[in-house]
Amino acid sequence: MRVASDIGGTFTDLVYLDERTGKVGAAKTDTTPPDFERGAIETIRKAGVRAQDVDFFVHGTTVIINALTERSGVRTGLITTRGFRDVLEIGRANRPDLYNLSYTKPKPFVPRFLRLEVTERVNYKGEVLTPLSEQEVVEAAEALIREGVEAIAICFLHAYANPDHERQAAELIRRRWPQIPVTASYEITREWREYERTSTAVLNSYVKPIAGRYLDRLDHELERIGVRGSRYVMQSNGGTATFGAAREAPIQMVESGPVAGVLGAIAVGNLVNEGNLISLDIGGTTAKTSLIDHGQAKVTTDYKIEWTRTSAGYPIKIPVVDIVEIGAGGGSIAWLDDAGSLHVGPQSAGAVPGPACYGRGGTMPTVTDANVVAGRINPEYFLGGEIALDASRAREALQPIAAHFGTGVEQAALGVIRLANANMVNALKLVSVHRGYDPRDFTLVAFGGAGAMHASALAAELHIARVLIPTNPAVFSAWGMLMTDLRYDLIWTSILRTEAAANDGLERIWDTLEGQALEYFTPQGIARSRLVFQRFADMRYAGQEHTVKVPVPISGMTEAAVAEVENRFHALHEQRYTFKLTSPIEFVNFHLTALGTVEKPRMRRLRKNGTAREAVKGKREVDFDAHGQATATIYERDRLGPASTVKGPAIIEEPAATTVVFPGQRVEVDGYGNLVIEVRS
Amino acid sequence: MTVRTRGRGAPGRAAPRVDPFTLEIIKNTLVAIGDEMFVALQRTSMSTIIYEVLDYATGLTDGRGQLITQGNGVTLFLGTLSHAVQYTLEKFKDDLHPGDIIVTNDPYTGGGTHLSDVSLVMPVFYDGEIVAFVANKAHWTEVGGKDPGSWTTDATEVYQEGLQFPCVKLFVKGEPLASVVDLIRANVRLPAMTLGDMWAGVAALRVGDRRFKDLCDKYGIRTVKQAIQKLLDDGDALTRLELRALPKGVFEAEDFIDDDGIGNGPFPVRVRVTVSDDEFHCDFTGTHGQVPGPVNCTHTALVSGVRAIYLSITNPGNPVNDGAFRSLRITCPPRTVFSAERPSPVSTYWETMLYVADLIWKAMAPVVPERLTAGHFLSVCGTIVAGLHPESGDLFLLVEPLAGGWGAGRRKDGENGLVCVGDGETFMIPIEVTETRYGVMVDQYTYHTDAGGAGTFRGGKGLIRDYRITADEAYLTTTFGRHKFLPWGMAGGEPGSPNYVKIMHKNGREAVFGKTARYRLLKGEVARLVTGTGGGYGPPFARPPEAVAEDVRNGYITADQALSDYGVKVDPASGAVVEVRRKPVPVS
Repeated sequence: MRVASDIGGTFTDLVYLDERTGKVGAAKTDTTPPDFERGAIETIRKAGVRAQDVDFFVHGTTVIINALTERSGVRTGLITTRGFRDVLEIGRANRPDLYNLSYTKPKPFVPRFLRLEVTERVNYKGEVLTPLSEQEVVEAAEALIREGVEAIAICFLHAYANPDHERQAAELIRRRWPQIPVTASYEITREWREYERTSTAVLNSYVKPIAGRYLDRLDHELERIGVRGSRYVMQSNGGTATFGAAREAPIQMVESGPVAGVLGAIAVGNLVNEGNLISLDIGGTTAKTSLIDHGQAKVTTDYKIEWTRTSAGYPIKIPVVDIVEIGAGGGSIAWLDDAGSLHVGPQSAGAVPGPACYGRGGTMPTVTDANVVAGRINPEYFLGGEIALDASRAREALQPIAAHFGTGVEQAALGVIRLANANMVNALKLVSVHRGYDPRDFTLVAFGGAGAMHASALAAELHIARVLIPTNPAVFSAWGMLMTDLRYDLIWTSILRTEAAANDGLERIWDTLEGQALEYFTPQGIARSRLVFQRFADMRYAGQEHTVKVPVPISGMTEAAVAEVENRFHALHEQRYTFKLTSPIEFVNFHLTALGTVEKPRMRRLRKNGTAREAVKGKREVDFDAHGQATATIYERDRLGPASTVKGPAIIEEPAATTVVFPGQRVEVDGYGNLVIEVRS
Repeated sequence: MTVRTRGRGAPGRAAPRVDPFTLEIIKNTLVAIGDEMFVALQRTSMSTIIYEVLDYATGLTDGRGQLITQGNGVTLFLGTLSHAVQYTLEKFKDDLHPGDIIVTNDPYTGGGTHLSDVSLVMPVFYDGEIVAFVANKAHWTEVGGKDPGSWTTDATEVYQEGLQFPCVKLFVKGEPLASVVDLIRANVRLPAMTLGDMWAGVAALRVGDRRFKDLCDKYGIRTVKQAIQKLLDDGDALTRLELRALPKGVFEAEDFIDDDGIGNGPFPVRVRVTVSDDEFHCDFTGTHGQVPGPVNCTHTALVSGVRAIYLSITNPGNPVNDGAFRSLRITCPPRTVFSAERPSPVSTYWETMLYVADLIWKAMAPVVPERLTAGHFLSVCGTIVAGLHPESGDLFLLVEPLAGGWGAGRRKDGENGLVCVGDGETFMIPIEVTETRYGVMVDQYTYHTDAGGAGTFRGGKGLIRDYRITADEAYLTTTFGRHKFLPWGMAGGEPGSPNYVKIMHKNGREAVFGKTARYRLLKGEVARLVTGTGGGYGPPFARPPEAVAEDVRNGYITADQALSDYGVKVDPASGAVVEVRRKPVPVS
């Protein structure tokens, strides 16, 4: 039995797969802060899973991101190279909110008096210019502990090139004060740029005790109820880690939840032999999208939290699946600005008070209200009938917009839907067209509570030919976790011209990285035979700053192999930026992905029968925007068996999602129960 | 206002009028096109000044050169793109073809500022007609001239400041003109970098061209034009709403520019702002005439400076387009330091343009204190270090601004270490990158405790950045303004501290200055760059003693300053307030 547990902001989800019977089941409960583990345990009970049967438990959590955004981490101290304690506070000194002259910089997580300096210096080649003063390290740590810090971060200049001083300092402190969690920057990232590395080390330390306590409690609870199987945590890079590894580098869990949906899309793509996918997860507040190229998610280290158009945010230099997130979901509020222009989001009505049609006191019109007015959502069958929606309240909320534009409420509702869709289309373009990909080559995998509602319109707009709505779209992220491998990314900055690289040192770099991966996995009991390596290089034309990630063959780095890598770089650069150059090329980062493969469950084909005709629940008038008002046939998804087909205009309802099928579109249910929509555009 | 589609006539799909929601969607898409061009240029550039400092702008205008949307890295370029497009139209008229790209950097005509800021302009054709222009303007690291890096502090004529592109074709029908490209290659010191910047600009234009045509394909050109009109009208409407909310009256300010880099100065500069219901009028009459050194700014830069601060005062959060400036009027006599003419040198024009913005800021701060803080360090504090890299032997050019202290406001302390008002999404170059690329070591990068900025709310701290030369020799050029005339305080707050450069020679000799050109430094010598602390807000004695003690504990001020500036005696060891020696002042 495999179990995935996903703790979100509002709900804790559980999905399980019984490999003997092929049965997939799910359970949901309220998230239970601050004792998050209670919710996880509760869902196991609620789902009726026998603890002894669980041989694989994987866990995604918002605990880390919450600790960061709520500033509920521990008091943290920082030790830096002499002369550089202010690097953390100066940041990059940028003013993203250009015309705001009262801009406030993000406040550092460590105040100045808890940032201490020690004598040491390494140059950019990794040569030691001034040895580390061990005495000063001890004094600094003593002073910090006297001030009551519960965790310490260390970041020295050029530690990516030579981490000896950081290692030495960390060991000194750990030996003397084993109870104080310490993070040296090199343990998390070996990329250059001191501010970003310092920030990463600091944020890791800031959440380390929180993560440790949390994982311990969860571990203990699982133990107590008799779960004996292996336990993993979902990481931001799209792989899992053991609880032990997650304790050391908890910052890797920062995007633990959202990436799982991307992995689910990859897994479902594997089932149906489709490697080029765009995942789209539309929830109540946001829409998240990511592009998958030949079965591979994109991973970058340009990640920041609290980064917006008007705030510089905080960088975290860890590998994170490249997800674009915008403030457009079912709860997004439609509003008029001072000039009378209509906007949708990013403000959301959330779960409380929620959209106006919930009847919980919300009066602002939301995307959900618009979908109710347009007839796309069935007010009687929302969340399987758990919440009876009030269509008249939805109409009332939209009335001011209709009045402003002199239209009917129906037009206003369509306007809100179209504007929300346009925002989502822009996000989808960001991950595809803007990066040189043609959406026509991709299948859109849509999930989350509102994904199925918007997906077919978005696909038509982008000329995407095929949309896939997986089964149980509302808990699809948790399902995705069941399908993941252990993963460890090692990224090492070493700037090297390609022309010089062929004969010099590339093998050494890859060997070192592979050695480190083995050091990481061996103590966790992962055998060498289960490891799969993938190599990438971040490359650029000499003189450029931004890099392009290029897959590197695993074979020896002969001249021919380097030439092949150069060719791939030229092609990728041209794809993304429309031109290539004859300038020399540089390697900047060497990136090794080590996958500790785990046995994947085999999904079984559905056996149940059921034709489209048997699934018909009725008919209703639905507004299909440019296609006009039409009488749509309403289907119950659970009754649609494999190979049944549905023609638009249609609405396919299930308890937690609604699939909208436009006139001219055609849906086929595949052998696994996925809805596959053929979009004519 | 023309196309406000407020409910008249029967709504419905069949109506020929474009529905309001489509217009909104096109508007959003236009802004998104601007963003995409912006990213495309950054990502492909060869120069740190572009990809870290983001000293460039990209934009889209309508067929007449009215700015529709602009992606900005810095505040300085507001308004320059439309001028460049309008001048292109005026000069080439019918001689524009699909795929043509025009290059211009002429400071005295359409859209130029100084020679380093190079604009590329491309007409967008649809159905055989010019429907829009895509344009960008970027600081190319090297455009030749007498000094490496092109801008300098002691030029006396524009001819010393680099290669001039007087609005000429660079591409014809999609193909680069080899003769022009060769000319550029031969006249700049780092041709690979300069041509790399050129290609980055071209890539951004092509992205914008393609996206704009996609938009026309989808909605039809008539609808797109209607949406553009609405975008501009909305920009105007939003600005006027804010304008009407401003207190009416005449507001004046005066200040002094230190010097012109070659020994002349100081120069008085003046503004008289008249705010009425329909107009925001800035009159610079009384400002000093153009000067012999390269601190002059031309009309285009003057307009940009005014526009930037006008946006800050009226609607800092809204997208930028020409509609937002319809209510703005500027008066300035010719041939002042704000409106210089050929051939006066202009290569460090931005320092003077900052005064344009700061004067209006200073005049208006008491009127709109919720948006405008006390004076900040005001200067880009630009530095060039040129030399031969000790490892590779190649010429290196370190060109960068330096962040400094911002002024305190009615409810906030000033920001510590933030780029000046002329910069924006401008990133300080990481020390690790600096040391790898250039022949310098950074000995420290930290806040200082120079005197200044005391107030109920304290001015933000300036920075120290020490460069120790590791090349055999290197040449330093700096332009640190507000070296003599300090950031202004507000409502009883103290002025801030000066920007300066301090040289520490090996023989023990020291030199302190604001501007220099090609100052020779030997291996092991140190150039200490120091930026000012911002002005304070409110009387210092009204600052709560605990806040003063916290500043001492954090080392933002010394214990001595706590006592002398704030009348608070703090024990530096424990950080506790020992004694408060001052008359109580009510907190305003």
